[in-house]
Amino acid sequence: MTKVQLNAVRKQFGAFVAIENIDLDIESGELVALLGPSGCGKTTTLRMIAGLERPSAGAILFDGKDVSEQPVQDRNVGMVFQRYALFPHMTVEKNVTFGLSVRGTPREEIGARLEEILDVVQLTQFRHRFPAQLSGGQMQRVAIARTLITKPSVLMMDEPLANLDTKLRGEMRRFIRDLQQRFGITTIFVTHDQVEAMELADRVAVIFNGHLAQYDAPAKLYQQPASLDVADFMGASNIVPGRMKSDDLVETAIGEIRVAPRAGFETGKDVQVMLRGEAVDLLTDPPAQGGVAGRVVARDFFGASVNYSVDCGTHQITVSEQARRLVDVGTSVRLNIDPERVWLL
Amino acid sequence: MAKKFNIALSSRLSPFQKFYLLVIAGFILGPFIPLVIQSFAFRWAWPDLLPGTWWLEQREKAMAPLAWDYVLSPYSRVWEATVNTVFIGTIVTAICLAICLPAARVLAREKFRGKSAFEFFLSLPLIVPEAAIGIALLMMFIRLGLAGSYVGIILAHLIPTIPYMVRMLTAVYQGLGRDFEEQAMILGANRWQVLRLVTLPMLLPGVVAGALFTFLVSTNIFLLTFFLGQGQIVTLPTLLFSKIAGGTLDASAAGITLIVTLPGIILLIISERFIKEEAFGKGFGN
Ligand SMILES: Nc1ncnc2c1ncn2[C@@H]1O[C@H](COP(=O)(O)OP(=O)(O)OP(=O)(O)O)[C@@H](O)[C@H]1O
Ligand SMILES: [Mg+2]
Repeated sequence: MTKVQLNAVRKQFGAFVAIENIDLDIESGELVALLGPSGCGKTTTLRMIAGLERPSAGAILFDGKDVSEQPVQDRNVGMVFQRYALFPHMTVEKNVTFGLSVRGTPREEIGARLEEILDVVQLTQFRHRFPAQLSGGQMQRVAIARTLITKPSVLMMDEPLANLDTKLRGEMRRFIRDLQQRFGITTIFVTHDQVEAMELADRVAVIFNGHLAQYDAPAKLYQQPASLDVADFMGASNIVPGRMKSDDLVETAIGEIRVAPRAGFETGKDVQVMLRGEAVDLLTDPPAQGGVAGRVVARDFFGASVNYSVDCGTHQITVSEQARRLVDVGTSVRLNIDPERVWLL
Repeated sequence: MAKKFNIALSSRLSPFQKFYLLVIAGFILGPFIPLVIQSFAFRWAWPDLLPGTWWLEQREKAMAPLAWDYVLSPYSRVWEATVNTVFIGTIVTAICLAICLPAARVLAREKFRGKSAFEFFLSLPLIVPEAAIGIALLMMFIRLGLAGSYVGIILAHLIPTIPYMVRMLTAVYQGLGRDFEEQAMILGANRWQVLRLVTLPMLLPGVVAGALFTFLVSTNIFLLTFFLGQGQIVTLPTLLFSKIAGGTLDASAAGITLIVTLPGIILLIISERFIKEEAFGKGFGN
């Protein structure tokens, strides 16, 4: 198992800076997601770790050893490409054993490991097919098997689930998570889907325009984003500007909101208040005092849960609830917000 | 071929589409019909629609159809011309591949200054009239002592074939993407293994198509061969020309014409099968 470190890694293509001084520590056995919009440099980062691209500056360390000069073949990494890159002229079996046979592994050992891995990815019955004869999910499992069979010390996956339908995605997520835990491989995967990143990863690195914006556990990223951009990317919909009236009260356009005091947010400071929809209580019973007054203007029913859009004057706040009750559109309500769950930016 | 055609006709095509297909087939196959008839005629004088005398009616005078008797005899030089044509075509194809494979790789994958000018330059031989190239080359080759030699003809054939081949192979390389080679490297393959196990097998269908095409072009070049062969090297196109230059299509010229089309037809059939069956079903997966 290998610990991966990026120290002030930078990558330039001509005059264009794709990656700007990224520092990233990935613990041995950890599953880390690189998350960011298209073109932010996720693939470039992976390619540098794999050795397909040389950093313009900085160092990449495996277990503390600089591998910047090491050619791809000697790094013992595995990478599952965005489009799988299965060799179309080889059967599933030949694809999977490719890595072992080019390394000159003895025949018997290749055979044994092939059986083992085909069993893990449940592809035994497809072993003689060509990639063109497989479904998307099957191709992806071949790609994973082909990589895992070489026992890489770092496993990388570039948007492994991007080409799959929703149902298959869910299955493959669980499958990848299980595999990763079973083999304990340090794993880095790329995605631009925040839900996927949160579901799968131990920690998520959010990258914008070649900069590392935040590197944290999913819950922290979701509830306590470090910047407005991150909050926005993590799907925060209720962000209201305001000013600190005292160290535990914010004056906003929709009313006063109580918050937990936090260092760095002194009286008089301009702030952005982020309210997570599920942390807001919707009170319909008459004279509730405090909180924010508003009126329900829209209701989106999802079966198990329901989202309300509440008009609070200048802003609309989205509130989501378990669908235990349904509040009608037009109802006047009060929004009650736990100060601990309000996040200031 | 015929079966496929029937299937195409009987499946859900509108009357217009059927008509259209028939017209196209007529255009392609039509010119062959008089040739076939002619080659089996004994006498076919104007203005008869069909030969006045068929070979079959004159069996006692000639063992084989007259035209075919001549075409298959050594006097016609058909055999010599066929061997020459195939030999030159093969060498041209091999040299063309050796030149164009690396060139196409660079053109498909790298960016460099003057690339588009270079690409334009590559197609110039297709724009300049063959006669101009032929005359210019002839002057030079006579000086160099290459006129009338195989080397001279092969060099001349490379001029119109290289532009096609480079273009086809560039497209093939563009379709290949770097992913596959990079994936192979990550899996531990060295450069030679990548080339042998991944790049070449994946390029194969395109390379075969390009090679067949080059071969066909080479076997059909008349003017350059005519100029540079100086009458000493006979290929099928030059032989045919010498037979029909007088403006009449006699039975033996008809026979030769049919022979001349044979290599092309055989190759097309082979390539059709090869590209269908070897190209792993549905192309490059994904
Ligand atoms: N070889 C290259 N030459 C020039 N620019 C490049 C090269 N490779 C990547 N880039 C640029 O670097 C930036 C980052 O690219 P990268 O492929 O890492 O994005 P990404 O985050 O993986 O995006 P996506 O989610 O769309 O895959 C992009 O703006 C891209 O245009
Ligand atoms: Mg990418």
